[in-house]
Amino acid sequence: MYKLIEFIRRIYVVLLFLLIEGVALYAYAHSTYYTQAKILAHTNSVIGGLQNSIFGVKHYFTLRSENELLAQRVAELETQVEFMREQQATSADSLAYEQMDSLTAQGLVQYRHMAARIISNTTNRERNFITLNKGTMHGVIPNMGVITPDGVMVGFVAACSNRYSVVKSILNTDFRSSGKIVGDDRIGSISWSGKSPYRVEMNNLSIYAEIEVGDEVISSGVSQYFPPDMKVRIGYVESYQRNDSQTANDVVIRLATDLAKVSNVILIENYDYNEVTELENAVQNGTYSTGGAVTPY
Amino acid sequence: MQRYLSYIGMFIGVVLLQIFLIDNISLGIYFHPLIYVAFIILLPLDMLPVWVVLLSATLGLTMDMMTGMCGLNVIAATATGFARMAIIGFTSGLNTGVDDTIPALYRLPQKNLLTYIILMVLMHSIIYFVMESLSMAHMFHTLLRIVVSDVVCVVIVWYIVKLFVEKILNK
Repeated sequence: MYKLIEFIRRIYVVLLFLLIEGVALYAYAHSTYYTQAKILAHTNSVIGGLQNSIFGVKHYFTLRSENELLAQRVAELETQVEFMREQQATSADSLAYEQMDSLTAQGLVQYRHMAARIISNTTNRERNFITLNKGTMHGVIPNMGVITPDGVMVGFVAACSNRYSVVKSILNTDFRSSGKIVGDDRIGSISWSGKSPYRVEMNNLSIYAEIEVGDEVISSGVSQYFPPDMKVRIGYVESYQRNDSQTANDVVIRLATDLAKVSNVILIENYDYNEVTELENAVQNGTYSTGGAVTPY
Repeated sequence: MQRYLSYIGMFIGVVLLQIFLIDNISLGIYFHPLIYVAFIILLPLDMLPVWVVLLSATLGLTMDMMTGMCGLNVIAATATGFARMAIIGFTSGLNTGVDDTIPALYRLPQKNLLTYIILMVLMHSIIYFVMESLSMAHMFHTLLRIVVSDVVCVVIVWYIVKLFVEKILNK
């Protein structure tokens, strides 16, 4: 017994080291992007204020270019609103414009937009996240789509605290979305390999898709994060080649914007997100009943 | 007492520098110097290994909490702290047995000090980047990240060490 105690006393540093490493490895192995985002959301409640101030100074120097972009975006939206007004006015059976609020309340309008400011953003890790200055108290909820003011895909909200939210960036190796070439309806899978913060990949694009270097790539329209009729830009085709099995194309896309320089974003909430995902899950899990309601067996 | 305060200040300083300055510099995916390892490098060379391991783990835990990395920084920092005695022995050419004396950081020759910093930074970043990628598919890409980040990191840590040793420890 004495020898055992003496032996442990001699190697207790090694034991301590192994214990700490074991616990850390276990925590790391069981961590997902979601737990990372949750931790970030909580710690941002503490350090978010300071980061907010630092980014406030940085933000000041980029105001001019942002104002130009916002003005351009406002002009585009004004044009769309004008077009819709005109359509409504000329359509005999259209609803009056004043009823738009009640339409939202009834759930007939599917998407809601809101602006937010980036207070923390990384692009030099394998799993990058963006912290925004708005949280649940401002109406942000998880799974809202995120785009830049000029309509470029940024990611989606992964977690929220009261005052802040964390976005899973397109520059995150866990990020998955779908995209297509403008003018072709075939869909490919968008992901980031972690190599360059200026490029993402689109894999499994049909070999029959018409691709040219320089073609614009946009969101597919089947995503639950972005409206189907909204062409959310991703980037431009830089190169493409057949995959190893020669069954599909792998496309390298140059991103339409430098994410490190983005400081304002627009959040998009899909009111139907939960309903659609619950329905999809029910079908996948076999808990869907044909009566229309989602009920367990 | 003042010495303890200096180390507490250094701990807070490197954590804040890493989070609010280095992590916000976006010069590409290959640029990610992990300068907080400077704290482990600067710990007294004659400090008991158990304290080095515990302080390294605390540093890693703090970084994990701040960056949401769920254990990655603890793994890299603790392993670096644990390997520190061997690295010191290798760089100073000393036997670190019970009866041997270990020179203070400021008494190390420049060449040995630089070797010590390079080995510590390398040890830490290899574990960090390999564990972060967890894939052999992009080995070259991970190696490039280690090399580019470490060159910058060694330069920054060198100046932090010189500043701390000359302006604070030697006061």
